[in-house]
Amino acid sequence: MIQRFTAKLLSLFLAFLLFAAFAQAQPNGENLFNANCKQCHATSDAKVVGPGLKDIHKRRTEAWLIPWIHNSQAIIKSGDAYAVKLFEDNNKAVMPTFSLKDEEIKAILAYVKAEGEKAPAVVTTTTAPGAEKAEDKGFPWGLLVLTALLVIIFLALNKAKKALEKVVREKEGLPEPIVLKGKAHYKHWIREHKKLIAVLLVLFFVWSSWKGWYALAAIGITQDYQPDQPIKFSHQLHAGTNGIDCKYCHSSAEKGKSSGIPTLNVCMNCHKYVQSGPKYGKDEIAKIYKALDYDPSTQKYGNNPKPIEWIRVHNLPDFAYFNHSQHVVVGKLDCQTCHGPVEEMEEMKQYSPLTMAWCVDCHRTTEVKMEGNGYYTQLHEDLKKKFGKDAKITVDKIGGLECARCHY
Amino acid sequence: MEKKYWKGVEELRNEPEFVRLRDNEFFENLPLDEVVSKKASSDTSTSRRDFLKFLGFSVAAASLAACEAPVNKAIPYVIKPEEITPGVPNYYASTYFDGNDYCSIIVKTREGRPIKIEGNEMSGVTKGGTNARVQASVLSLYDSARLKGPLANHKPAEWNTIDSEIKNKLGQVVASGKKIAIVSSSIASPTTKKVIADFSAKYPGTQHVVYDAVSYYGLIKGNELSFGKAAIPSYHFENADVIVSFGADFLANWLSPIEFAKQYAQNRKLRNKKNMSRHIQFEANLTLTGSNADNRYRVRASSMGSVIANLYNKIAGATGGAVVSATSTSVDKEINAVANELINAKGKALVVARSNDPNVQVLINGINSMLGSYGSTIDLNQPNMTRSSNDEGVGNLITDLNNGAVGAVILYNSNPVYTMPSFKDAMAKAGLKISFADREDESASFCDYVCPDHHYLESWNDAEPRKGMYSLTQPTIQPLFSTRQAQESLLKWADAPVADYYTYLQDAWKGNTYTMQTGISSYEAFWAKSLQDGVFETATAAAAAASFIGNVQDAASKIGKPSTGVEVILYEKTGIANGNQGNNPWLHELPDPVSKVCWDNYFAVGPVYAEKMGYKQGTVIEVKMGNVSIKGPVLLQPGMADETMAIALGYGRTKVGKAGDGVGVNAFPLVTMANGALKYFAAGVTVNKTVDDEYLLASTQMHHTMMGRAIVKETTLSEWNKNPRSGNPVLKIETPYGKKEPKHVNLWATEKNPGFPKENHFWNMGIDLNSCIGCGACVVACTAENNVPVVGKDEIMRSREMHWIRIDRYYSSDTTKENAQEKNLGKISMYSEMEKPTADNPEVVFQPLMCQHCNHAPCETVCPVVATTHSSEGMNMMAYNRCIGTRYCANNCPYKVRRFNWFRYNENEQFPFNQYDNLGKMVLNPDVVVRSRGVMEKCTMCIQRVQYGKLDAKKEGRRPKDGEIKTACSQACPTNAITFGDFNNDQSEVHELFNDPRSYHLLEELDTQPSVFYQTKVRNKKAGKEA
Repeated sequence: MIQRFTAKLLSLFLAFLLFAAFAQAQPNGENLFNANCKQCHATSDAKVVGPGLKDIHKRRTEAWLIPWIHNSQAIIKSGDAYAVKLFEDNNKAVMPTFSLKDEEIKAILAYVKAEGEKAPAVVTTTTAPGAEKAEDKGFPWGLLVLTALLVIIFLALNKAKKALEKVVREKEGLPEPIVLKGKAHYKHWIREHKKLIAVLLVLFFVWSSWKGWYALAAIGITQDYQPDQPIKFSHQLHAGTNGIDCKYCHSSAEKGKSSGIPTLNVCMNCHKYVQSGPKYGKDEIAKIYKALDYDPSTQKYGNNPKPIEWIRVHNLPDFAYFNHSQHVVVGKLDCQTCHGPVEEMEEMKQYSPLTMAWCVDCHRTTEVKMEGNGYYTQLHEDLKKKFGKDAKITVDKIGGLECARCHY
Repeated sequence: MEKKYWKGVEELRNEPEFVRLRDNEFFENLPLDEVVSKKASSDTSTSRRDFLKFLGFSVAAASLAACEAPVNKAIPYVIKPEEITPGVPNYYASTYFDGNDYCSIIVKTREGRPIKIEGNEMSGVTKGGTNARVQASVLSLYDSARLKGPLANHKPAEWNTIDSEIKNKLGQVVASGKKIAIVSSSIASPTTKKVIADFSAKYPGTQHVVYDAVSYYGLIKGNELSFGKAAIPSYHFENADVIVSFGADFLANWLSPIEFAKQYAQNRKLRNKKNMSRHIQFEANLTLTGSNADNRYRVRASSMGSVIANLYNKIAGATGGAVVSATSTSVDKEINAVANELINAKGKALVVARSNDPNVQVLINGINSMLGSYGSTIDLNQPNMTRSSNDEGVGNLITDLNNGAVGAVILYNSNPVYTMPSFKDAMAKAGLKISFADREDESASFCDYVCPDHHYLESWNDAEPRKGMYSLTQPTIQPLFSTRQAQESLLKWADAPVADYYTYLQDAWKGNTYTMQTGISSYEAFWAKSLQDGVFETATAAAAAASFIGNVQDAASKIGKPSTGVEVILYEKTGIANGNQGNNPWLHELPDPVSKVCWDNYFAVGPVYAEKMGYKQGTVIEVKMGNVSIKGPVLLQPGMADETMAIALGYGRTKVGKAGDGVGVNAFPLVTMANGALKYFAAGVTVNKTVDDEYLLASTQMHHTMMGRAIVKETTLSEWNKNPRSGNPVLKIETPYGKKEPKHVNLWATEKNPGFPKENHFWNMGIDLNSCIGCGACVVACTAENNVPVVGKDEIMRSREMHWIRIDRYYSSDTTKENAQEKNLGKISMYSEMEKPTADNPEVVFQPLMCQHCNHAPCETVCPVVATTHSSEGMNMMAYNRCIGTRYCANNCPYKVRRFNWFRYNENEQFPFNQYDNLGKMVLNPDVVVRSRGVMEKCTMCIQRVQYGKLDAKKEGRRPKDGEIKTACSQACPTNAITFGDFNNDQSEVHELFNDPRSYHLLEELDTQPSVFYQTKVRNKKAGKEA
């Protein structure tokens, strides 16, 4: 029995492997298109940087397209009339050379053909995945029913209890209890339950102090602060999917105290060509152009640029001096140590509490990167004598907890 | 969808109400003043219940405000300028010249705004030195009283319309055959002179009159009479072994104080040498330079000429020259001795005088010539080009104006209505009046057009301070307002082919300075290098002797004779000088180095004379001269000549801005014309006590003597040569086990616990009291670097000044503990006698005092919240956000260096200084916290600079180099009196200095073990010649 099951499983696994291999052997037109072409071309009629590719198979033959894609400039230079006209029509934007295999190009073309037939001419805006996922939690009907049931049971039991008491009283010939009205009733109850009240009060006091302490301690701590930004910039896409190094945009993290928010010229290094994103299409990228007063169709800059007013996520108090370059260059820390998995964040949020306790904790546990830094050579020798040869030299051991390292 | 976190719905919607509440801590003005004031308790309706309501509300509001995290925006550049990295300063070389001070500087900018001025060490003139005025000039850039654009008839106008109107009117003036007068202060820029020449070519009949409010015309004219060369020579105090100054305050104000202070200190320092210069001062009022003199003699201003003539005769007699007629004076005996010293130091002597009388200067030149000073201490081949005032020209101009011969007056960097009252009526006769003033000042407000010039930090310019030594001014910020450089205005009006002054300047340099060198073959490279260095200096002819052709007999016959009666000296203060930075609160708050009074000028009167006349400190007196009358308070100032008063110029401005208006009185009306030159003392005045009202002066030092304690240790050169520890004996204190050094008797360290370890760095500061001249450059530099608040006169009168570094000035006293016994004085009367400075001629010492960074700090042990602690690098740290303001630390500090923030000065309407408005706040150093109300603060030894320097070194993987990290005060010091460095580095200068026998810790007996140490002051006094 078990053997048969294993055999089935094995064969299934084998089949899967085979399929996978097959799938790999066949170039995937869609993936290739997305990886190589999409930044400049749409499968529709729409022009991105280069012309829309819908019905390209009708306009050009494969035999023309393959060398064109390999090296378009060579064909233009050869004087091909169509190629020259195409080049002129598209502001002489040079299409890069692609060292794709012929099968791959064919696969791309097949994909473009299929897409063109499938989709009517739509702009490439796609809605965000998960955006449609409605928050379908609904009203907690079950809870309501349950509560109602409990209340009914409680009332019924109370009624039954009273009825039984009455029966007992009548049997034993006891008088009716005096029913206290209004205030007197509560006073009586309080007198009867002094201990309970005392215990409850103490509990309440302990609970509220407990809660209050943490509520007060949380004042000014903005961990997880995630404001909406004027541009729906996705770190997940840029730093995660595209793997752009943090310091490509935040270059001053290596130079000075501020890591710097990239200015628009940095954005334009890529977005001059990448005019459409996978999630918001052209809308968000268009905000860059608007801020720059840039017209992507003519590739001209206007005279009325305005800076983008980002909402600051990480707010250190003014009385704390923090220098990025100290931590990034000298301390050789990864950005993620403090900023968290930014490459997974669709929208930037404050990952760390940025409290002094948090700073101090790290300074107590992080070793100073002394190796290979001439500044520390002699100091390291001295500290080895003091703390022992193999002792961890953490930041606090070289004065990293002193007030005036951060407060001046 | 991802989760969102909002502080509240209001934030999401960002409603105006929310924004308003967020911005205002309290959303209505609470009548707290009424509640708190005495009046309220008696007759207002505010009851106890109301008070409790306010209290409760405040608590609620404060806690609400605390819960609310404001939404901060981060707005990057649209396109980042290539050279700017946020958070990283840029430094640009530039030049400061305001018609008075020349200084080659480095401007520190952060995110494109200048925040600090430092000295440029590449300059052969100022060699990295600065003074208080140069340091403070960065705040004048952010002065909200500056004009935002041009004015036509006091109304804002457009540049285009103004230009065409002015051109039209200038054309009419030329057509009518009248003159155009450009009145400017001295111009050091050859290119600006070229612009004026171009303008004159376009408008024939243009006359350029150079008028300095504080003029050196006498010096120029004197040299013309003596050598046939109307120029001011360069002086070399560093080559002089004997310096004799007749009233010239060359360390603070005279001619080129930054340069002279540097030179002077060079020959006063006792590092690796056994000798120093000898400095003798003859003067009427106690100046900063006089305070530093080895011997100082009091001479009345009117006698000064005769004293100089007597000196001339003595030297001429000894060297076989002809004598001149001279009246005998009270200092004949001293002059004899000085003459001998000078003759002995022949070739290494220097005699200077402040007098603006050309005849006096001829005598001085004669003396220097006999002493062989030309070619060694004086250099006529490389003249000082920063002064070209022509007093006679100004006199002629006023005559011309009154005759109606002048059709147009153009004022450039000149405010004659304020500095010369007779100018106002004369100027009114000109049809067209234009001013380039940056504000509607006293003169500009009488002008038809005000075409505001850029601030120098927004300008392109050049300067030629000495012949063949050039420097460049470059803009370090975009113009803040719609102003235009004066040169550009002149070029525009002259229809010059190149009206852009930057291009014009480049062209001028291409045709002139570029051709003076051969090292760099491309002009672009030459320009870039000159701009980067800030200076371009050509090799000049060596200093040579000059043949004296002056007629001393004639000169001696013309000099003023000694007179009797009260004389009023008109001098300049270290901060305000001629008043052109009159709206700069940093300069007003800088205490006068000698009197220690800020925010005022006053009649300084000697205590003896004051007693005779019945004046007390603060008595308001009225000085009358002709129809001029000036009222001002009396300040008791020891060291004044007999029957002499002194009042500072530059005060009493009325149209300079909110910080400077109405501060002090204007003494310029007392300046008169004599022998064709302006005279800076007034004789023949009558003085009346006006009212018995006492005027309160704000002083930062009320205690004038050291009361027998060795706070400033002092010795003489001869004693020091015998024993290097003279004046600084090893201190031992009495213990039950015999006499011991204080370090063996203390509360802090034991044998087991030797104190704070200093493995890495041990930052130390050495202050050479022999080099410190007390000028106050460090005080202003510290203010700029550390965002030190300005508090104003009222607060200073309450001893609440905030300066992190102060300069203590002590006078000597006639009574010492030793001679008190001879006088049979009791303990109490002894101390009260010791408190009194020597009235007639005290010796003066200066001592810069900042936090001493004690390694056994009394302040640290008493802080109940551990807000002030010690660092492993030898610094005393102050965590402002931890401080609760008990002020225990200040009470326990033996040096009184801690400052308490009684107010949130920067947001309090009671402190209306331009440092605190939105524009003024641009000067703040972003690396230093702006302290809030209720916290202590003090010198941090510029920890931000230390940390920055360390970080630079770490990033480059090396140790910081000695001298790489400097504090603001040590950087600013023109005499290099302050040395900062790492004591752990054996090679460091500070380490070497500490091991010098002159080094000592202040109040060593307390064994606070400061990281700051001082070095004994050595006076080069000749035995038996003490004044």
